[in-house]
Amino acid sequence: MSFKAPRILPALTVVTLAAGFILVFYFAPNDADQGFIQKIFYLHVPLAVCALVGFMVAAVQAVLHLRSGDPGWDARSYVSIHISVILGVAVLITGSIWARASWGKWFVWDEPTLVSFLIVFLLYCTYYPLRYAIEDRERQARYASVFAITAGAFVPLNFIAVRLAETLVHPRVFATAEGGLTPKMTLTFLVCLVGMALLWQTLVRFELAAKSTRARLGRLRRALEGDEVAAGGSRIAPVPREAPGAG
Amino acid sequence: MSAFRAILAKDLRTELRTLESVPAMALFAATTFVLFRFGLDRTALEGSLAAGVLLATVLFAAILAINRVFVAEREQGGFDVIRLAPVDGTSLFAAKVCVLAIYLLALELIAVPVFAILFAVGAAGLAPLAAVLVLADFGLATVGALVSSIAVNSRARDLIAPLLLLPLLVPVMIAAAGAAEPLLAAGGPAYGEFGQWMAILALYDLVFVAVGYAVYDFLLED
Amino acid sequence: MPALPLDEAGKYVAGAYVAFVALLLIYVAIMAARLERINRELGELAEIAEQGDDRPAANPAGADAGAQEDARGEAERQVFERERSSRQEVVP
Repeated sequence: MSFKAPRILPALTVVTLAAGFILVFYFAPNDADQGFIQKIFYLHVPLAVCALVGFMVAAVQAVLHLRSGDPGWDARSYVSIHISVILGVAVLITGSIWARASWGKWFVWDEPTLVSFLIVFLLYCTYYPLRYAIEDRERQARYASVFAITAGAFVPLNFIAVRLAETLVHPRVFATAEGGLTPKMTLTFLVCLVGMALLWQTLVRFELAAKSTRARLGRLRRALEGDEVAAGGSRIAPVPREAPGAG
Repeated sequence: MSAFRAILAKDLRTELRTLESVPAMALFAATTFVLFRFGLDRTALEGSLAAGVLLATVLFAAILAINRVFVAEREQGGFDVIRLAPVDGTSLFAAKVCVLAIYLLALELIAVPVFAILFAVGAAGLAPLAAVLVLADFGLATVGALVSSIAVNSRARDLIAPLLLLPLLVPVMIAAAGAAEPLLAAGGPAYGEFGQWMAILALYDLVFVAVGYAVYDFLLED
Repeated sequence: MPALPLDEAGKYVAGAYVAFVALLLIYVAIMAARLERINRELGELAEIAEQGDDRPAANPAGADAGAQEDARGEAERQVFERERSSRQEVVP
């Protein structure tokens, strides 16, 4: 199967995100409690939501992979996790800056979403060494799918546990993130959220297209140079030419 | 059912005969307690510190057992036997979960009294603490069996297992410590949030048993 | 109108957005590098492919059906042979 690079999607992403950022700085009012600092919320929370949803999407794709045996689903699952981890880095950086601006410390254990996210991020970082440690491609794909499903089940549990742990001791710090949003703020937030979701999808499509191209190059090289050449394409979630099941 | 019992009996019999895992875990726990005494520079523990030291020690001792739980199957072809026999792969999963849970309970039978003695922990909270530990052990065993199955067929298996395990066990740590901390408090056990934390532990156990049952056959495929 | 107080708060907010854009640009740069590598590999493979085509063209007169040749095909073959002979001087 070959994954094509997206055409309209990147343009749509740029337009939506630009509109979102314009709304952030020209339209949304300043927060009563946190003032200008709260503007980071429009960046940090959509990134976090998209990363977490991305992990759940990867879990669903992993289920589809296990049921159908189609390596294309494994490639999609891997890329979903990969892009979500990248967004996760952005979440942690922006969250850290927000914590520093609000509380003077680069990390606060008082904010349950940030803490849960750190744990989830650490878990999904172990996905890579797991894949690299298994050489047989089919087995690697299967085990990775099992991991993606397990980790996907873990995410909501983790959030519940951390939130319970924190709220019993400290009150929510970034309470404005939850309630107390004026309609203007809500609109701005939604636009940014849609923009980040589009960004996620764009990056996933690009990543899949790059993998697909590399796999085709590998096959071409093997066809031209003979089978002595090491199989081209990635050792991790390789994209096959034909999917054995549903395309 | 019979496959489950057979595997469980085999593993327990082997452990009783060779005494490989549980004594090592107990010794490890005792030594870790000594390390904590010096690391924290305290001779008496209560409340959150007591809960943290005990649970962290149990967690790390569990990793020892989890790393070893499938080694025999891998080296002696036990996986192939399960694959060929007309037996559900989940019997293997269920048996290994029970084996790990039994090892952990045996460990705690030794380690908790040692802990109470070494750190002058009040005995009043120990009985409800046992209930917390039972639920936590079941969670440790379930996730441990799952992760161990994933790791045993990979290359750096002793490395991959703890790496995958620790983030997954954070909610167990949170809930168990949340429940244990008021139980070990200086003024005697308190039960304010006990039910809530136990509910979280139970939920965790349920979710991962379900996940394990759903995916285990895929791990056994060749 | 934008409320842009360029005090301490402004720097952090700007920092967060700059970090986001920087990460995005780093990703773009990585993708560009991969594209470079793909293009390079494609170039190498194209060369290998052409070299592979050269050898079967060693006997053009015998291989053709004869009647099908047109002027363009003739010219192409001549260019092809010229290229092949010049490449054979370069390639050891």
